Amino acid sequence: MTDARSSAPPSIAHRYAELLERAVFAEDPLQIETALAEAADLGRILIAQEIALEEVGELHHEALLVLARAHPDLPLGLVAARMTAPLMETYMAYSLAFREQLERRAEAIVHARLEQSRKLEAIGTLAAGIAHDFNNILGSILGFSELMTEDLPADAPSQRYLDYIQQASFRARDLIARLLTFARAVADSPPVPIEVVAQIREILGLLKVSLPAVIRLDFEPDVSEAWVMAEPTQVQQIIMNLCINAADAVGQGQGRIRVGVECLPAHGDPSLSGDHMVRLSVADDGEGMSPDVQARVFDPFFTTKAPGKGSGLGLSVIHGLVGKLGGQIEIQSAPGAGSTFIVDLPWLPPEQAAAGAQTPSQSEEEP
Amino acid sequence: MTQVLIVDDDEIFRTMLEEMVQREGYEVTAVGDGDAALHAVDQSPPDLIITDILMPEKDGMELMTELAQRGSQIPIIAISGGGRTINLDFLELAELMEVRATLSKPFTRESLRQAITEALSPRT
Repeated sequence: MTDARSSAPPSIAHRYAELLERAVFAEDPLQIETALAEAADLGRILIAQEIALEEVGELHHEALLVLARAHPDLPLGLVAARMTAPLMETYMAYSLAFREQLERRAEAIVHARLEQSRKLEAIGTLAAGIAHDFNNILGSILGFSELMTEDLPADAPSQRYLDYIQQASFRARDLIARLLTFARAVADSPPVPIEVVAQIREILGLLKVSLPAVIRLDFEPDVSEAWVMAEPTQVQQIIMNLCINAADAVGQGQGRIRVGVECLPAHGDPSLSGDHMVRLSVADDGEGMSPDVQARVFDPFFTTKAPGKGSGLGLSVIHGLVGKLGGQIEIQSAPGAGSTFIVDLPWLPPEQAAAGAQTPSQSEEEP
Repeated sequence: MTQVLIVDDDEIFRTMLEEMVQREGYEVTAVGDGDAALHAVDQSPPDLIITDILMPEKDGMELMTELAQRGSQIPIIAISGGGRTINLDFLELAELMEVRATLSKPFTRESLRQAITEALSPRT
């Protein structure tokens, strides 16, 4: 029944051919409707079985050949009239399912990347928390044993035991210090030269698919490349968080987010090392912020989002990240006039960047 | 007699520190958080405050900020078992707030003695 050209399972090809045949020979509207519903199901099955679009075309072609061979006398007009609807139905279901799958995939990548940096942060927080509590416990053990040393006669045999307790406590303290050093090393990967224009383009490509379609996300870099020293995920985290916030500010309706990259002379700004800075900007035409909100927006746990919608940590983390990179972040906003977040980072001269360059595709692997 | 106020939310540690400081010859009051500490300061201002940093409710940082806002001149020793996050050292922050001495938990009796002497000596 099937031609050797298609790698789609024979059962699918058979089902497709049979479906077309039933549509062509349908005698009442109900039969046509049933064929249409089945065509839509088939479109979704084709996506679920990862059958490529060109193979769907081949399936269709084969089904037509089968139909023509079986009914050489069938008028072409009837075939065309009866077949177009189920064909369109299949394709529409196919492309909808395809779009959904694409969105899910992009979302999964965005999510995995955010999750990764959160995980590293969590390891650090967990280690720090355990270290804090253990140090408190050791403080009590050590302190009480020192007090007992004083209470017992100097020649009491237990003095030796107390000495051991203290030695063991110090060992535990050193172990905790080593655990913290290790956790810091895990949580911090070393900074490398990062080309932000390409990296931001890649991130926005991912974000575009996961943001609501009514929001336009435009990338308008003023330069073709700009280098900074950063950990591979830091710029990514900054841009993602700012864009997700911008999308929230735009809300349900139509809106536009513009992301820019500029290289500016840093003169007059003593806080930025070097003579140039890289300015990243994320501007939205959303609801904007009052001066009151602007003043608090970087505070940990401050959020304007509905309960459960935001931790209030995103911008405070970004603020910390930008500071760690030796940069600055500021806001231009007014209620009703949208918000622009401006991040200035120390510029890395391209000749220095070339020494240890990293493109976004490499940044997935070992630094 | 020199009055020392101890502020720490860990009850066992607080008991230990209270005993240790008493044995050094000071009169000690011990409380479990920043609010109780402010209350104690209002009741009878101590000559020295030894405070933990991380505490529920009002923590050591808030306590120090509030005392500074009131223009308090009471010397402070900040003690801590370390930060809750990995890249933030509370004792470094405390130093920025001009505490007289800092101690990392666990500490020895000897380092406590030194810190108290340092904190009670007139500022140079």
